[in-house]
Amino acid sequence: MTAVTDPMSIPAARPQRKTPKGTFDIVFRNASFGSALLVLVLLAGIMISMIIGGWPAFREMGLGFITSSVWDTQNDQYGAWPAIVGTLSTALIALLVGVPLSLGIAVFLTQLAPPWFKQPVSTTIELLAAVPSIIYGMWGLFVFVPLFAAYVQQPVSRVVEGMPIVGTIFYAASPSGLGILSAGIILAFMIIPFIASIVRDMLDQIPSVLRESAYGIGATTWEVVRHVLVPQAGVSIIGAIMLGLGRALGETMAVTFVVGNANRLSASIMDPGSTIASRIANEFNEAIGLQLNALIALGCILFFVTFVVLVIARILVARVKAF
Amino acid sequence: MLSTLELSPQTLDAAAPVRIAVKNLDFYYGEHKALKNINLDFRDRHVTALIGPSGCGKSTLLRIFNRIYSLYPEQRATGEILLDGRNIISNEVDVNELRSRVGMVFQKPTPFPMSIYDNVAFGIRLYEKPPKSELDDRVEGALRRAALWDEVKDKLKSSGMGLSGGQQQRLCIARTIAQKPEVILFDEPTSALDPISTGKIEDLLEQLKSDFTIAIVTHNMQQAARISQYTAFMYLGEVIEFAPTNTIFMNPAKKQTQDYVTGRFG
Amino acid sequence: MSMATPSTVRALPPSTWGRVRQSRRAADRAMKIIATGFTLLAITVLFWILGMLIVKGVGGLSIATFTQTMPGPGSEGGGLANAIVGSVVLTFLGIAVATPVGVLAGTYLAEYGKGSKLADLIRFINDILLSAPSILIGLFVYVILVEPLGGYSGWAGGVALGIIAIPVIVRTTEDMLRLVPGPLREAGSALGAPPSVVITSITWKAAKSGMVTGILLALARIAGETAPLIFTALNNSFWFSPTLLGGVSNLPVTIYQFASAPYENWQQLAWAGSLIITLSILVLSLVARRIVAGGK
Repeated sequence: MTAVTDPMSIPAARPQRKTPKGTFDIVFRNASFGSALLVLVLLAGIMISMIIGGWPAFREMGLGFITSSVWDTQNDQYGAWPAIVGTLSTALIALLVGVPLSLGIAVFLTQLAPPWFKQPVSTTIELLAAVPSIIYGMWGLFVFVPLFAAYVQQPVSRVVEGMPIVGTIFYAASPSGLGILSAGIILAFMIIPFIASIVRDMLDQIPSVLRESAYGIGATTWEVVRHVLVPQAGVSIIGAIMLGLGRALGETMAVTFVVGNANRLSASIMDPGSTIASRIANEFNEAIGLQLNALIALGCILFFVTFVVLVIARILVARVKAF
Repeated sequence: MLSTLELSPQTLDAAAPVRIAVKNLDFYYGEHKALKNINLDFRDRHVTALIGPSGCGKSTLLRIFNRIYSLYPEQRATGEILLDGRNIISNEVDVNELRSRVGMVFQKPTPFPMSIYDNVAFGIRLYEKPPKSELDDRVEGALRRAALWDEVKDKLKSSGMGLSGGQQQRLCIARTIAQKPEVILFDEPTSALDPISTGKIEDLLEQLKSDFTIAIVTHNMQQAARISQYTAFMYLGEVIEFAPTNTIFMNPAKKQTQDYVTGRFG
Repeated sequence: MSMATPSTVRALPPSTWGRVRQSRRAADRAMKIIATGFTLLAITVLFWILGMLIVKGVGGLSIATFTQTMPGPGSEGGGLANAIVGSVVLTFLGIAVATPVGVLAGTYLAEYGKGSKLADLIRFINDILLSAPSILIGLFVYVILVEPLGGYSGWAGGVALGIIAIPVIVRTTEDMLRLVPGPLREAGSALGAPPSVVITSITWKAAKSGMVTGILLALARIAGETAPLIFTALNNSFWFSPTLLGGVSNLPVTIYQFASAPYENWQQLAWAGSLIITLSILVLSLVARRIVAGGK
């Protein structure tokens, strides 16, 4: 090529143009960054405020705050054990009931439903998540609990009374319908939409080649689901379940309505109990002094338990989404 | 093979000044060196085509001239690209001003989600605040120049996304020339279009070169032969040969160039 | 066309139809019935809840429900006017807090934070916050706003609802911005538009319907929240102060307090309130879905 010509000789070089002000650009970028940081600050803030707010109770009670079953506002003695057990047992029941239901729904939506039917049913299931917690509480208290008392608690109690182990776990001293089991069942319906929709999306993501080749060797729908689809989506299904568990652990209003709000610990899941969230909701507005700290300390425990569960859930769900 | 290429009557002006001079340019995607020691001159008001097989770096090179690569932190360039004597890959140059002087038309049409009028006015409004009547004139002028005015003059307020692919691409050209750049980069502008739309765009390029310095990346050799005055053949991140288009297609100096333009590889 | 009959015809191998064992068929059929049954059960629960709200709630709806304030203990009649207005105020306060923060944070994650470890962390933490128990957010706002400022207020309630809404908006904003094709951004930059202009006048416009959906979903999420309000806005039987200081009446906490109260008119109002709030939220959710479907 020829040598570079003198750039100054170029005709029609247009005049310098003014750049738009860079200030807005910098402000906008920083505002975005600041807002994103706020997400971190919020989580850290929740953690720190729970620790500081609950600290006096942890200091007063020591380890006994977690292991003690006494919750005595007169003598300022607080033990979280019954609430912790109540939280874990309602959440466990919710999973036992909710997970099979959710998986069944996901299988129905992805494998069985005709295409025109899939969308409306999906939407209906997802709307279960839109119903406010307190409405589940109303339904639980006024519709579910009386039916549960009449058709489950009373007959079951009559049968199991006096039996070893089974009698302890399923006997209702006062078959009011309220209790840990009722709360767990209501929770199950509340977590269904979350688990079912994630599992549905996971099953939809599995390449149809895989499905078709399984059908191609003569597998039935059930065998395809059981041996091909579920193992393929395995880890993310566990992630979805953990996500549901996170929901169940912290759910407040619905549980408060139906759990019975008893402070003592019972061996029977038919008996009233309380969860961390229900106890906080129940007592908070009347609480003063150390009781307030004890309630926030309960919140602190709830925070760490759900945090761990949700972290595991997100890692499991994300791992499968990646491929 | 060579005889089937219709070469346009080349109006080479050997005295035309150099608008863009590339000197010792290297380019990296992270650790990977994608362009090696590029030296090229783009002459004012000429069309320069960059050809070569996929992955040869022709689009990468084009995307350096308006520093669009700066959007991606892992990409960097070293060396010099002089636009009117200023090194545009140095940090002294304001990239936004640079981009208003070096327009770009992309492979797929990229109409913005706004009206046809606003699409064309978008670039003007960034740098100037002309009164409404002048803005109207500029928009109309750009659309006429892009041979789109007659098709859209009655629906300037409707969305640019509603146009056909070829119309969208001409809208993008109108949007680019409305800003009155000195250089326009075309990155395979017709590869997503049907033959009729392609023909219209090629006619347009022919007219635009009277006002703009044009660089075009194309994988279509006939297109390069039809519309360009200079052609650079690139292979594996290097410029193998750079010469007037007639020379490249009729009498290439390098064996690799000959093999490529005769269709023996690529 | 004619075919010569061969002298010897080989016999077909024995038929293999019926190779699928009965137990396999039964398992398959059982699974199909169970999966369908479970789906029906879940659908039934939703319609059962809606039916319950309509049966018990419609009776409590009257002009007075929307014009009169909440009745005192033992007094006749009354309505939910102050609770409805309070809920609307608190919900919109929450959205007003959450929208700018959520949209900007989502924009950062999608547009600026590509490949940055910090952005990955923020995205992860945001997903955690998305499912964090709302009661903890209520406690948090109690500790940072209510206790230091010496009292319940609508502002604290709005902030609590806003914190619940933020992760929803961050997530949908980021997801929707990621759907905007990269060349559109490049085309904006190629005209010399700085990143802020590309984002605000091109990317946001392209993702608008999805982002609006996110905000509507966040609205639906917080409109029925009860637990966080117990610690922040509390409730109030009367018209709340225009300064929003002191308790601010709202539907969810009113429902909570009235549902199991010993007065029949209170219970009636609790049902009416439940119907109003649930229908609003379901309509909002369906509208949000429609926008997404329409935008595609």
